[in-house]
Amino acid sequence: MLLAVLGLAAAVGLGAEDADKNPVVEEPSSKRTEDKVTITVQTVPPRKAVVKWGSKTLGVIPVPRPLVVVRPRDSGPLDLVVRAAGFLPVHTRAYTFSDSRVAIKLTPLSEKNTLFGYRQEVPPEGTASPDGGAPPPAPAPSPAPAPAPQR
Amino acid sequence: MKYAPLFAIQACLALLSGCDVRAVASLPPPQTTSSVKTATPTSKPAAPAAPVPASKSPATQAPAPGVVPDDDRALVIRDGQESWTSASGAARSGYTIVDLGDDWTPFIFEEHRGADGQSMPNRYRRVFLGLANDTLDEDGEPLPAGEKNYLELYGIPPSLGVLRARFLEDEKQKCHEGANLAAMEAVETTGYVAPETVVPEEKRIARMRSDLENARRKAHAQTLAELAAKNPKLEPKVKLVERRAAKKLAMTEVERRLACEGMFKHGVKHVAGIYDDAMRLAVRRFQQKHMIYEPNYLRHQTMDALARAPLSNDHEALVRVLRERVVAATGVVEDGTVDSKSGPATYTGANGQTLPVRNLVEEMTQAAVEQLGLASPEAALAFFKRHSAADFRHLRAAVHLPALPEYYGPNMDLSIVIDRGEVWYDLPWDAAGVRHAQPRKRYPSFHLYVKYKEQRIPLARWQTTIGGWRAEQASDGYEYYRYKGSDVGPRVIRNVVAGPVWIAPESTPIRTLVKPKTVNGLWQRVVNYDELGPGFLSAYGLIAGYLVVPGKGGKPDWDNGIRAHGSSEYLSMSSPEGYSHGCHRLPNHLAIRLYSFILRHRPMRILGDQPANIARQFLLDNDVFEIRVPSRGYQYVLEPPLPVDVLEGEIKGTLKKPILTYVPKPGVRYPGPPPEVPNSAEGRAGGVSSGRSAGGDDEGGAP
Repeated sequence: MLLAVLGLAAAVGLGAEDADKNPVVEEPSSKRTEDKVTITVQTVPPRKAVVKWGSKTLGVIPVPRPLVVVRPRDSGPLDLVVRAAGFLPVHTRAYTFSDSRVAIKLTPLSEKNTLFGYRQEVPPEGTASPDGGAPPPAPAPSPAPAPAPQR
Repeated sequence: MKYAPLFAIQACLALLSGCDVRAVASLPPPQTTSSVKTATPTSKPAAPAAPVPASKSPATQAPAPGVVPDDDRALVIRDGQESWTSASGAARSGYTIVDLGDDWTPFIFEEHRGADGQSMPNRYRRVFLGLANDTLDEDGEPLPAGEKNYLELYGIPPSLGVLRARFLEDEKQKCHEGANLAAMEAVETTGYVAPETVVPEEKRIARMRSDLENARRKAHAQTLAELAAKNPKLEPKVKLVERRAAKKLAMTEVERRLACEGMFKHGVKHVAGIYDDAMRLAVRRFQQKHMIYEPNYLRHQTMDALARAPLSNDHEALVRVLRERVVAATGVVEDGTVDSKSGPATYTGANGQTLPVRNLVEEMTQAAVEQLGLASPEAALAFFKRHSAADFRHLRAAVHLPALPEYYGPNMDLSIVIDRGEVWYDLPWDAAGVRHAQPRKRYPSFHLYVKYKEQRIPLARWQTTIGGWRAEQASDGYEYYRYKGSDVGPRVIRNVVAGPVWIAPESTPIRTLVKPKTVNGLWQRVVNYDELGPGFLSAYGLIAGYLVVPGKGGKPDWDNGIRAHGSSEYLSMSSPEGYSHGCHRLPNHLAIRLYSFILRHRPMRILGDQPANIARQFLLDNDVFEIRVPSRGYQYVLEPPLPVDVLEGEIKGTLKKPILTYVPKPGVRYPGPPPEVPNSAEGRAGGVSSGRSAGGDDEGGAP
């Protein structure tokens, strides 16, 4: 694996060993001369975080610098998991269509309830009245007749 | 480069006779009065030469390329002889150039050039090609060796290179030899029996058979049929026992065939004689391979295909693939769906004659199949043997097709009417949570018309969907039901997006937004981008038109989130339980035909890829999942927009207006009263939920 430092960033190059996985179908866009893209991964707030792509560890974000991953252009997306101590793990995706920056918002474990999808606790039995399944009252009939079909 | 001597001589003779090969002097002009529009790829790489063994007879040889420039070469077949001709010259002479190359995509995924000459790349084009060529998976990642994408049902036909391999492979295999076809043909359908009930059911039938045998002996009957004739009361039992015996025989044949074709998934165990999950998956794979629009059980069309020889099925696949190529080359859409029992629809031509609305899709396809010498499985196999895999990378063929009707032109006065059919607003369950049927005899339908000489001529009519009761995630993190209807009244389609991305609103049930996937060797949960797109499983399918009320006085269009789009939920358009979230779905291949037709026969502007850079997080268990959407798709703008009229249909049941609030799910306890219903445009169109696994046969808004 090619490991290089691009500027101030840690760069992980995966292009060479994965080049053979490119599709065999030729198309005009494959003739582009720039055949690599760089994906810059960082966290908000900046934290030292391990970035994994499946079973492979791409690297650790060397805060305050981002992690830079080099991939063959248009070689398919990367499903990444970013783990930082004290924060919830984040599953995200990076694309290889063009150079991109992936800024991942980290949520502290204690602020889990601020995220969409957090489920409110159901009150103990007998204290809540919501009754699933009871249809709401039917809306009052419209004073105007329903519009006639237009043909 | 080695060429067959005969073709080299033919080429030399052509040159000696002074003919200009670029002008296709060797081709007679077609017998048409109007020229057929050709699809000319703008930037295809040069085709490689096809080496031909010199020992083959002329009738089985591939033509020698080389006389016509590689990038202007088209295959033409005359009197059974293949030769190369100039594609541009043939097109000028009225021939249609049909792209048979492995690098073909429908018009909507072609890479166009802007006014400045710069290429406008389409993100999904590479994935479409990879899927059609069995080299990539739906994420655009390499497909494991030997894996196949069977995606015709989802709008991605296999390339001819893939079909060639299928023909050559199936020629060798013996799946059809010794098959008990009578056993399969004796059974029209085989219903589902849950695995846990198979043994008790078999015991029940065995007992019944034993009782009947005892009765037969007592009655001195030779057969059970004779027993039934003597004692009509026993006839239903006799029929049941005989039907089960026939099904068992058929099942054995089906298992044999599916195993021979490699349809059973590796690692999923199948118990012989039981329609278990392994069997269902194998049947589904078989249906996907052969583009059979049926639930994942042994129904009529599936049984027919199982009883056919593999090469016959391959030939049907070839005709389907050619159909899409011919449709793309000619830009036609009329497929016979506007025919009625009394025959085709008609219109009055310029000369006052009454003319039928022709089934151009079939006319053109059959003409191409005949001219290319592909009318039988044997002829198709010979064609694929004559040509190497490399031939198909950029292969084009010149064919002479019937003339287009007089109402065709570059600016057709097209319009769409969507009839909602029979509509139910009532809750499909009662206070006790018991579900009630809401039958429909008239399903929603999608109609395409052209106005010509003051007549509205129907071109196509397809079944579609309207919205209904759907599960939605509310802001309290719980799921409720919500009626997601389809708007009524005049609208327009201004924007058409190829490879559209559905931005999942926060009301999308979170369970549908995550899926398991092997990532770089590790089985893990990921965001379900299948549903977001771009892709054939996207909630918006492979292409979508956005229905809006046009803004007046400089105001923007009003978008209520209703789209007319392709869908992987291919059974939802014909299922009694098939409802959308308000959108009008079409099978992907029909949506591609529709919008390709519209874009090619209406003034339009290409905006190209629409970068988005959208990120949204949600929590599932103790993990945060982040949806990242880099683009909304590849956009075309119709100028002027296309008129759409959505008819109200017939309201069934008690309620004449839809309920607009959340309705709690039966049997679920909630932390409080239902939250407010959100009303963003994106929130209207929901995901497909069941996706590729079911084709939509389990799709239903109600519990």
